[in-house]
Amino acid sequence: MAVAAPPATRERLERLERIWRETPGVLGWLTTTNHKRIGILYFFTSLAFFGAGGVEALLIRTQLIGPEQSVLSPEAFNQAMTMHGVTMIFLFVIPMSIGAFGNYLVPLMIGARDMAFPRMNALSYWIYLCSGVFMYVGLLSGNGPNAGWFDYVPLASKTFSPGPGIDFYALGLLFNGISTTAAAINFIVTIFKLRAPGMSINRMPLFCFAFLAVSFALVFALPALNAALILLELDRLLGFHFYDVFRGGSTLLWQNLFWIFGHPEVYIIILPAFGIATSIIPTFVRRRMVAFPLVALAEILVAFIGFGVWAHHMFAVGLSTVTTVYFAAASLIIVIPSGIQLFAWITTILTGTPRFKTPLLWIVGFIVLFILGGLSGITFAAIPFDQQLTDTYYVVAHFHYVIFGAAVFPLLGGMYYWFPKVTGRMYYERWGQASFWLTFVGMNVTFFPMHILGLDGMPRRDYTYSGGLGWSGLNLIESLGAYLLATGLLTVVANLAVSLFRGEPAGEDPWEGDTLEWATTSPPPDYNFAVIPTVSSPYAMWDRRDRERDAENLARGEKTLERGHETPASTAVDAEWDEILEMPSHSSWPPLVALCLGGVFTMILLAQWIAAAVFLLLVLVALGAWHGREPRAA
Amino acid sequence: MSARSQASGWWGMALLILTEATLFGSLIATYFYLRFESTSWPPGGIEKPSVALPLAFTAMLIAASLPMFAAVRAAKAGRTRAAWWLLALATALQGTYLGLQIDLFLDNLQTFGPQGSAYGSIYYALLGLHHAHVAVGLALDAWLLVFLFGGLTEYRLLALRVTALYWYFVSALAVLVVLTQLYPSL
Repeated sequence: MAVAAPPATRERLERLERIWRETPGVLGWLTTTNHKRIGILYFFTSLAFFGAGGVEALLIRTQLIGPEQSVLSPEAFNQAMTMHGVTMIFLFVIPMSIGAFGNYLVPLMIGARDMAFPRMNALSYWIYLCSGVFMYVGLLSGNGPNAGWFDYVPLASKTFSPGPGIDFYALGLLFNGISTTAAAINFIVTIFKLRAPGMSINRMPLFCFAFLAVSFALVFALPALNAALILLELDRLLGFHFYDVFRGGSTLLWQNLFWIFGHPEVYIIILPAFGIATSIIPTFVRRRMVAFPLVALAEILVAFIGFGVWAHHMFAVGLSTVTTVYFAAASLIIVIPSGIQLFAWITTILTGTPRFKTPLLWIVGFIVLFILGGLSGITFAAIPFDQQLTDTYYVVAHFHYVIFGAAVFPLLGGMYYWFPKVTGRMYYERWGQASFWLTFVGMNVTFFPMHILGLDGMPRRDYTYSGGLGWSGLNLIESLGAYLLATGLLTVVANLAVSLFRGEPAGEDPWEGDTLEWATTSPPPDYNFAVIPTVSSPYAMWDRRDRERDAENLARGEKTLERGHETPASTAVDAEWDEILEMPSHSSWPPLVALCLGGVFTMILLAQWIAAAVFLLLVLVALGAWHGREPRAA
Repeated sequence: MSARSQASGWWGMALLILTEATLFGSLIATYFYLRFESTSWPPGGIEKPSVALPLAFTAMLIAASLPMFAAVRAAKAGRTRAAWWLLALATALQGTYLGLQIDLFLDNLQTFGPQGSAYGSIYYALLGLHHAHVAVGLALDAWLLVFLFGGLTEYRLLALRVTALYWYFVSALAVLVVLTQLYPSL
């Protein structure tokens, strides 16, 4: 764009460059508030945790490769199983989708120059990092949680789990929850306030609708988990009796609170994947999404209905028939918005002219796996069937199809899709396709036999099984599948790592993409867009006239906001010009506040109340000082 | 001219309020869940809570919303000194509320503890978390009192508006908390 630019334009770009320049070096990364840098930090951190969770999975599968193995002790197995779940959900999928993809892409897609709260964005990242380290200190010191990611009481109570493992879990997740809540609030405000003027809510990309739905779901779902965790820690650390049936408490209270969070959480995990699918499909089939408003509404409906189905995780605990029937019916209703989206994706692909490049392959794989996982999901709404199969490998098969197949496949496809944008280089197409097939086959070989084993009655979470039950063959196949799956994932990482250094230059828009991130250079400059983009549809890049207008505006110096560290704000629904916001830039407070908060949680874990209070005071002082520095008035 | 959107800070606070309200919703639901699991509430040996003092304290906290509201009005009109004093008055009321509440809390602890029964557990947990929210509000007040002393800026005006919003929420919540707390006596 800037190659043959007239001098006035070049001067403008240089001025923007100067205003938005990031501090170089390590210090720059520590104090950054730039959404793209924070997205990259999230990416590498969650990728590292993905590796850790993957190693745990491989250990589990190696232990189960044959009957009566002793690769892991029963205690080590329980810790690996628990941390595998906690890691994949809280330290990988959510931070990868919301933290990395959301942070990097949402501001670009809505034509903004940063998130609404850039410093809080940095704080979210640093808290996430500290909370992950906090939980892994537990595991690596031999004190990992061992009661499963759902952490049912009474097993998780002090009586039956006297060690600090459960405290690492509960305090770690409370700590982590602060990060996720802050991120969710940040996305909602960003999407409501910072859309480029002209991008009224009906012109917003479906990707952003998905993130809006997820963020609202998080705001309302996490408090239930936080309440459950606070009560658990009060029981464990101070001898309260919330979950103690002998003193008037209730163990089912935990299950209710946990699943009021836990089921919306499933949609929180999967909705960003839906958003990624709705970004990749139009680009690679060269047509707009079928039924755009229905898909947008379905994304929001899934998040909403997800709050009314939690007790289908509890059909075997002895609820009344009326209750179970209600929750079974509510669970079936989710089929409707999910079906709308599925049919819309499939119809869009069938009526378009698909190019089966790597990103679209992952999405097609996702659709296949989501249908399979969805079908096994429907079977759980049949109450007697559920009661028969609960706590067997059938459940494990179902949720890995949904969470790994449906939630992670689009993330991997998204990594390929946006790799050229983030790095400016292309990945290796053939290796990309190979990595897809390896992962797809590995995934099915690993998880499909679990359906059969579950129907045969193999219980989940057990560290071993005896040889005479006829389960050995399928378990062997599953474990081999897991190694194949790991090979596929390593191929993805290797492909992207090599391409980072040796890939062909990608240019601004290698895919002829549909949304605004493709309007800027690859990688995008620190200020994202030299001109605040003109938008008249959700497929902004396919509106040639608007992009020409951007170029004209740049030449004339209109809508360039080059006088300060600024981004425009618009009205929440119609996106009319509202005001110009002066955005804060780099700050060293976020990592400091996160560290002090880490001190608070560590001291609570150690029951050092005075030290915890001192750290809390430090947090408050730091927050006060942080907000003492005002952005200059625009 | 179209209606202007609220400032980002206002949106942020509104969403924080939504999530905190959900937290208290979960706790109040927990209270009644536990209540309907047990045959006697409060369980034997624990007296029903006395009504007068907690209600009077709550009325005082709600009353603090008036100077808070007036402080925002004054600040919007540019009367910084008036805003500061009104805010100081609100803070004094809110601080007194917290002091009296903690006093009552400690007093209650003399008669029954959180470690005796699930009733005691939820009683003290609910109150404790409410008090923590009041304390956060007081920290916001303290910050404002320090920074408003140095004059009024658009940023500080927004901070004042947002803090007021937070206090309206905490006051409304106080009503729900106190009604739950006093439920056995009502």
